[in-house]
Amino acid sequence: MNNIRNFCIIAHIDHGKSTLADRILELTGLIRKASMEQMLDSMDLERERGITIKAKSVRIPYKSAGGAEFILNLIDTPGHVDFNYEVSRSLMACEGAVLLVDASQGVEAQTIANANLALDAGLKIIPVINKIDLPNAMVDDCSLQLYSMLGLHIEDILHVSAKEGTGVLELLDAIADRIPPPQGSSSDPLKCLIFDSFYDAYRGVIPHLRVFNGSLKAGDKIMLKSTEKVFEVEEVGYFSLGLTQAAGLNAGDVGYVVALIRNAGEIHVGDTVVSADHPEVPAIPGFRMSQPMVYCGVYPIITSDYARLGAALEKFKLNDSSITFEKETSAALGYGYRMGFLGLLHMEIALERLKREYEQDIIATMPSVIYKVATKNGETLMLDNPSKFPPEGQIEHIEEPMIRARVIVPSGFVGPCMELAEAKRGSLVGIEHPDDKRAILVYDLPLAEMITDFYDRLKSVSRGYASMDYEMNGYRSADLVKVDILVNNSAVDALSYISPKEGASIKGRALIYKLSKVIPRHQFKIPLQAAIGSQVIARADIFPMRKDVIAKCYGGDITRKRKLLEKQKEGKKKMKMVGFVEVPQEAFLSLMKIEE
Amino acid sequence: MRGLYIHIPFCISKCRYCDFYSLAGKTDLIEGYVSAVVREAEKYGGTSFKTMYVGGGTPSLLGPRRLADLVDGLRSHLQIDCLLEATIEANPESTDEDFLRMVRDIGFNRISIGVQSLDDDELKKAGRVHSSTQALKAIELAFNCGIDNVSADIIIGLPGQTVESLDNTLRKLVGIGLTHASVYCLSIEEGTAFAACPPADLPDDEFQASVYERVAGILKEYGFIHYEISNFALQGKECLHNLNYWRGGEYIGLGSSAASHVGGRRWKNEANLHAYMDDPLAAGIEEDIVDAETKMAEEAMLRLRLLEEGLDTGQLTMRYGLNEFKDLEKRLNILAGQKKLVKNGKRYKLAPGSILTSNHVFVDVIK
Repeated sequence: MNNIRNFCIIAHIDHGKSTLADRILELTGLIRKASMEQMLDSMDLERERGITIKAKSVRIPYKSAGGAEFILNLIDTPGHVDFNYEVSRSLMACEGAVLLVDASQGVEAQTIANANLALDAGLKIIPVINKIDLPNAMVDDCSLQLYSMLGLHIEDILHVSAKEGTGVLELLDAIADRIPPPQGSSSDPLKCLIFDSFYDAYRGVIPHLRVFNGSLKAGDKIMLKSTEKVFEVEEVGYFSLGLTQAAGLNAGDVGYVVALIRNAGEIHVGDTVVSADHPEVPAIPGFRMSQPMVYCGVYPIITSDYARLGAALEKFKLNDSSITFEKETSAALGYGYRMGFLGLLHMEIALERLKREYEQDIIATMPSVIYKVATKNGETLMLDNPSKFPPEGQIEHIEEPMIRARVIVPSGFVGPCMELAEAKRGSLVGIEHPDDKRAILVYDLPLAEMITDFYDRLKSVSRGYASMDYEMNGYRSADLVKVDILVNNSAVDALSYISPKEGASIKGRALIYKLSKVIPRHQFKIPLQAAIGSQVIARADIFPMRKDVIAKCYGGDITRKRKLLEKQKEGKKKMKMVGFVEVPQEAFLSLMKIEE
Repeated sequence: MRGLYIHIPFCISKCRYCDFYSLAGKTDLIEGYVSAVVREAEKYGGTSFKTMYVGGGTPSLLGPRRLADLVDGLRSHLQIDCLLEATIEANPESTDEDFLRMVRDIGFNRISIGVQSLDDDELKKAGRVHSSTQALKAIELAFNCGIDNVSADIIIGLPGQTVESLDNTLRKLVGIGLTHASVYCLSIEEGTAFAACPPADLPDDEFQASVYERVAGILKEYGFIHYEISNFALQGKECLHNLNYWRGGEYIGLGSSAASHVGGRRWKNEANLHAYMDDPLAAGIEEDIVDAETKMAEEAMLRLRLLEEGLDTGQLTMRYGLNEFKDLEKRLNILAGQKKLVKNGKRYKLAPGSILTSNHVFVDVIK
């Protein structure tokens, strides 16, 4: 156990975490350079977005400069605020963390958030400044920031270029030297932490574990603390760019267990696994079930695909147990599902995967948070769908979920960022000035503002320099109204949204204008209206299409003509018929990108 | 009925709206190109044709001598002595009396002139190199030389165009005896000068649409039949070669980028002048082979362009089979229900209100 080092790499998005992981795997000989395509991010989608969604881990044999042999378990962590809880569980499986900072960007919001999570988990932190090969690298500034913002010692900071491999071997030695070996005892009763899982069609749900005490081998009976369900272990092993079967897992090890767990709902990240013989072993503190924060309706474009979509969601849930879904009916869109997600990014990724990996042609509606609606007859309703809101007259008051956001911004952009936060109904909690170049703004903001365009706007008002992190922060009562959208004179429930009463008509006008640009012209006039109850607050018309292309069909090139029409037909297939109007996906999300 | 198309991809200069395959300022290559076309024709040795159409580009850039070389060369391989119609496209600036006499003497009986507009300001803005005077003169000369079927291309929506200027263009053309008109709406295509640098005074869709209807009205007033979405002709002067395209007929295209349709198969020569001139028989082609249902729907879409004649589905099922027609029939009947098509027995026609939005309809016709 003394030669095991369990560690993770934590960083702000795009600070080079995946590149560093690849370089480590390459330099330790686990992968050849040719196949070196960011091994830890196996999903295409993650690659495209440059982030890691699901934690995975890999066991790396390493011989240090001093000749000692080590087992380094690199536990990958998701790098986004939606997955904070998952990150905290991955951190708990480690004794140390490599804190990566991009030399050209400096310390950012998620650097701090992740570093704090690691410190809370009692991890040894190895600060690393990455991308020192960049011409605009500011190594000294970064060092000072790590010192002033996180209290890390400048002499402990390593300088690395993951891209070029500079300093990576030194980093591996530091991991071996500085991170303590795991504690615990293989002779004590079993105690493991589930920090991730994945689904295999033949072997069921396979949890990823960190063993704290005891040992685990095929034939053992294990119990999940949260449900007290018992399973028999079929196989245990390590991750070595794939599953590698092992005789057993001992205290300090990181590995997987196959136990024919068929229901993905059984396995929760953060749950404790103990031996069925010793059910009295206490659970590892901090466990909670992941709770969706953001909801949206998901509807098949072709109504008859409803059953197929349901089957795809069942399958998807096996791979991502943090999504939720239940049946929902919309007067405008027909039969579909209400899906729940950990956050906006999680939603975007999940919907994209549903389209690509599960080949579903879907329309997703505007995301919504869960509102607490107190009615006049004393009920409190938790509503994740604006169309379910009771009529205004029956509502006593509404509360909405809040977040506490921490925004790091260069001093020159403090003004515009504060203006934005205030326009988004934020209230300032405090301003910190860790050095003379940057400020940390702490705001309480409605989550609903966060899931529309707050982050995009923040990036744009700060020319990309601001970074942000947030945590949930309870409910606050707010003066809100439900706004209905009427397309061609009938209300489209899937376009309804909840808006602050103040400024509702300005927002309504902006949305109607946006919709009038997004919904294509038809052969008839389409009136669009936004209304609160029976009061119309905004209106616009989409004028009928008068002509399409009447060009020369030259030299008998009919193929070209047909292909153009086929392309147009493909585009049409992505639209949903709402009454007689073809509505594209964009329309349902237009509230998220309004220029007010 | 089989048609022969020859593509001449040369122009004096590129018009600002043009995205067809044509090259400006390479006229020194014409000689070699003509002999390459004749070499390609050899491949189809002995085939007989009912119509011939020399298009471009600017075929009038061939001049009388090379035009004669081309036609003589074709005649040595192909049977083109019993043509019902032979058309050549010409631009006013390169259409002189010598050329027109040659056109007539070697058997052309129809000429299509790229007039576009008779307003000098509009012509200039569009990058055309001729004047309105040249255009009118070219038409008159054609008639004087004995070519009695003269067509003009007209563009609606040119920068700076007004209802008055278009009326003027139209009435002058009809006044000197035009027998056929092809009327297109300007569309800004990718890769053109207009796309790179959109003109400020571009008339909008509303203008184009209302003016199109006005133009159709004026031409009908003068006895023209609106026989195809963008084509108007006096009785008996419809373009047979183009009618063959819209009726799903067979044709062979010679020259770089030319398209062919024979035996249910469509293909197109690669748009690469140099490869074609090196060896027209080795140059690449793009094939387009589709299943019967796609093919049938494609022909339905083409035939619906013919406003008077429409689509006779009885005839269509005889060619393709009843089974293949089932889905198409459903689609056609939905469109008829939406009043975008007019159904009369087994015949469907584009509803007058849908002529300007025909693509919208065709999207629902194709498979």
